[in-house]
Amino acid sequence: MSTSKKAIWVFGDYRNYFQNRVTLQLLSRARELAEKIDGMVCAVVFGHWTDEWLGEALSNNPTFCGVAKEYIAHGADRVYLTDHSRLAAYSMETYVFLMERLARQEKPEMILIGATAFGREFAPRLAKRLDTGLTADCIGLDINKDGLLIQIAPSFGGNLVAEIITPQRRPQMASVRPGIFQEIPHDHNRTGEVINVPLPRDIPADRVRLVRSERRLMREQKLEDASLVVCGGRGMGSKKKFAKLFELAELLGGEVGATRPAVYANWVGHEALVGQAGKQIRPQILFSFGVSGAIQHTAACNNAKFIVAVNKNPEAAMMKLADVAIVADASQVCAALIQELKRRLRLRQ
Amino acid sequence: MDFNPCMKHKVIRKAVRMFAEAELAPVAREIDRDARFPWEVVTKMQPLNFFGLQAPKAYGGAELDSISYAIAIEEISRVSAAIGLCLTVHNSVGIFPIVHFGTEEQKQRFLPAMVRGERIGAFCLTEANAGSDAGAVETTAVRDGNGYVINGTKIFVTNGGVCGTALIFAITDPQSPQKSAAVFIVERVTPGFSVGEIEDLCGMRANPVSSLFLENCRVPERNLLGRPGDGIRIGLTALDTGRLGIAAQALGIAQSAFEDAVRYSKERQQFKKPISSFQTIQNFLADMATEIDAARLLLYRACAVKDAGRPFGAEAAKAKLYCSETATRVTNRAVHIHGGYGYSREYDVERYFRDAKVTEIYEGTSEIQRMVIARDLLSQRT
Amino acid sequence: MLKIVVCLKQVPMVSELPWDPVMGTIQRDIAEGMMNPACRSALETALRICAAEGGEITAVTMGPPMAEEMLREAISLGAARGILLTDRKMAGADTSVTSHILARAIKMACVGFDLVLCGFSTSDSETAQVGPQLAEELAIPGVAGADGIEAFGRTVRMQRSSDNFIEIMEMDLPCLITVTEGEFAPRYVPLGGIQAAFEDGEILTLTAADLGCDPEKIGVKGSATRIMSVTSPTAVKKNLVLTGAPKRIVEQLFARFEDKIGGAIGRDLKAEKTK
Repeated sequence: MSTSKKAIWVFGDYRNYFQNRVTLQLLSRARELAEKIDGMVCAVVFGHWTDEWLGEALSNNPTFCGVAKEYIAHGADRVYLTDHSRLAAYSMETYVFLMERLARQEKPEMILIGATAFGREFAPRLAKRLDTGLTADCIGLDINKDGLLIQIAPSFGGNLVAEIITPQRRPQMASVRPGIFQEIPHDHNRTGEVINVPLPRDIPADRVRLVRSERRLMREQKLEDASLVVCGGRGMGSKKKFAKLFELAELLGGEVGATRPAVYANWVGHEALVGQAGKQIRPQILFSFGVSGAIQHTAACNNAKFIVAVNKNPEAAMMKLADVAIVADASQVCAALIQELKRRLRLRQ
Repeated sequence: MDFNPCMKHKVIRKAVRMFAEAELAPVAREIDRDARFPWEVVTKMQPLNFFGLQAPKAYGGAELDSISYAIAIEEISRVSAAIGLCLTVHNSVGIFPIVHFGTEEQKQRFLPAMVRGERIGAFCLTEANAGSDAGAVETTAVRDGNGYVINGTKIFVTNGGVCGTALIFAITDPQSPQKSAAVFIVERVTPGFSVGEIEDLCGMRANPVSSLFLENCRVPERNLLGRPGDGIRIGLTALDTGRLGIAAQALGIAQSAFEDAVRYSKERQQFKKPISSFQTIQNFLADMATEIDAARLLLYRACAVKDAGRPFGAEAAKAKLYCSETATRVTNRAVHIHGGYGYSREYDVERYFRDAKVTEIYEGTSEIQRMVIARDLLSQRT
Repeated sequence: MLKIVVCLKQVPMVSELPWDPVMGTIQRDIAEGMMNPACRSALETALRICAAEGGEITAVTMGPPMAEEMLREAISLGAARGILLTDRKMAGADTSVTSHILARAIKMACVGFDLVLCGFSTSDSETAQVGPQLAEELAIPGVAGADGIEAFGRTVRMQRSSDNFIEIMEMDLPCLITVTEGEFAPRYVPLGGIQAAFEDGEILTLTAADLGCDPEKIGVKGSATRIMSVTSPTAVKKNLVLTGAPKRIVEQLFARFEDKIGGAIGRDLKAEKTK
């Protein structure tokens, strides 16, 4: 099965396929990296009935044809697939064991793993077993002039960015934040090989017992995952005015966040706190009302793609971060925005 | 000579700051505005030894050294001077006299509940006609059987509205007030003890400063601290310690105002530049920083002298004088740097400005401090 | 009685980070340190398990000598002792090397441990890797990112939210769990506890040589990864500034960005032309 071509592996993290397309995003980036080192892209899938995985996928999406073929359609040249009833549910210990075994045998040049909750635990364990380096939660990947993987990772909540390489040991490993790279559109004409890897006989028993596992309802989707966040600070003025942000968030289908002064003033519960001691958010759009922009707060929200900030003080740090800086009273703009949204949404119906 | 804070002092500062910023900061502005004593926060302070900062471990105290004590008061006052005031009065002039002049029986009877913060302490010297002049006290304690009957009115009692245990300064012989002055430990539940209206003050508004009335208030002899005639000595010793706390409180206020001024001067733009780029503002800030530094060193030295067991009255007076006058100057400058906003309740500096002034007045006015200092230096150079 | 090891990291206080304006990097050496928030949660969890089941906590950290203050803080909160792993040779370790050193210390100085608790991730480097790698080094089962943990005899049960699942899991002791900044607020440090921790708190300091580490395999030398550059992405955004009456501002906002806002929320916000 070995090949002379350098291989870039992508871990097939299909469990949250519809919410989280990081595996497809990684396949796409891996393709570009493979060009630079004249290598190939492989996906690795462990599971059970992966051909029929998610019945709803088959019915809702006629092009979906099983995980392995899906990965080929999105850029993989080869898929290693272990399909067995023991792999019906995700298991950290088993997956690490299988991946280590396969990597020792096939000797990939790089392994890329999506920084999902599972991936962020899986990657460091695997790196330890393989005695190699690993960079966590990368926001960029590239190849340097020596053909090494440049792992670009943030620290201090995005206040610093480090470029890291793994000069000697192999494989070079990185876990990568979802949403950074663009997936290649599904192309069912792409071809690739699927290699069925049998389940090893000496697979150890799981020491961690899964007692219960429930899919979280979408409604409970939290602030951290919200694609739109309305965030309020002291500049909202009062609890009553702050409450208007909930109405705005409702209209926009987003979540409400808050700064420390707003939480301390008891305008909103601690669960809404965005900051060093609270939550990190990375929405598509952030509306920031009356937020001065202390670093504890900005570090937790400057990954927002597009920021609209409203503040009476044009010099507030939050205004400097914003794409649109509105110099005005936060609660008045909030009210005007609610009115305008209501008007537009009513006209649509 | 080592000017670096030791590791313990750093840990104490961080621990207190973490508590103050998380629990006290959210209410600091509101309790000042509404003149409300924040029991909900105080309840959280009780198990953390804030009410027994220097009290002996035997009675449940933390038995901290004086620099740690000053740091704790400074950090609480940095966020809410009124609560810093509650603590310093409770710990220094409330608990300290019982620790130093009380009998073992008195310590066991009064200290544990005070150290737990269940009974907040107050020290009652000031009257309508007596303040700086402690000898002019008119409250009387008349011997009656195996106890004393106390009559009089105390004013401007810090913690008055919430105190559980008060030290009452009274004269036992009106013929010779100086020689008969005594201090009584009086519990709030004692018949004849009542709390007057809470004062509507300019600053320190979250502290329920009030009058206390003693009307035929009968206390047993075992509540007498020391002997009749010890009053002045106990009072002066307590005040020396109290001055360290007030100095620390003033320092905390100054520090807070300074931090706000630095932050604001970097944010506020005029003529398309942050005002911190102007030399005038820089001079203000440089002076503020220098004075705060000097004040802090004076205070910590006074604390070190006290802990070394040497007389520290003059050092405490110098620290209290300089810290409080620094607080007044620094908060004044901080308001000025904030311009019109500084005069608005939207910002905290106006609160610091109001809170600072009284540190020059209570626990001995600046003039009394100068008198103490002068008396000390003149006595050395005979 | 459970023997619990809590791994702690001292991180710079973000509010007091001294930035080097020329290099755009952090001057770590002079930054004030604090206990990493998730590590504080791990310690809180340990204290609660001890209160419920009985136990003894050892706090372990690798870091500069200054990190001792965090161990004293842990003792103030109720840990029985602290172990400080400090050595210039350890500086610059990546997560794999860090977990190796921690594991050596735990095996050497915490013989017979039952439970190892770590913070899920740190506020400075945010890798979330040391805990899982430490479990590998110690060859014990582990779970990352738990937010509710209970011990029953020789079993621990924990809950976590992982991707879109709420999972309840069990493991037998000994095992390792990394704890998120979760459900309960950590307690504050009692001042009397600090005084006692400095008077008679037990701190064991170990160097690389004490641990028998091969100097080639620790610190920068032993790390598989190499940091090539660290930069501060402080690009000032060229932003659009809107002023005036709120109603007018909102109109302008929609005129320019209705597609963007509509796209993010999956709704068409275009106003129909009136009349």
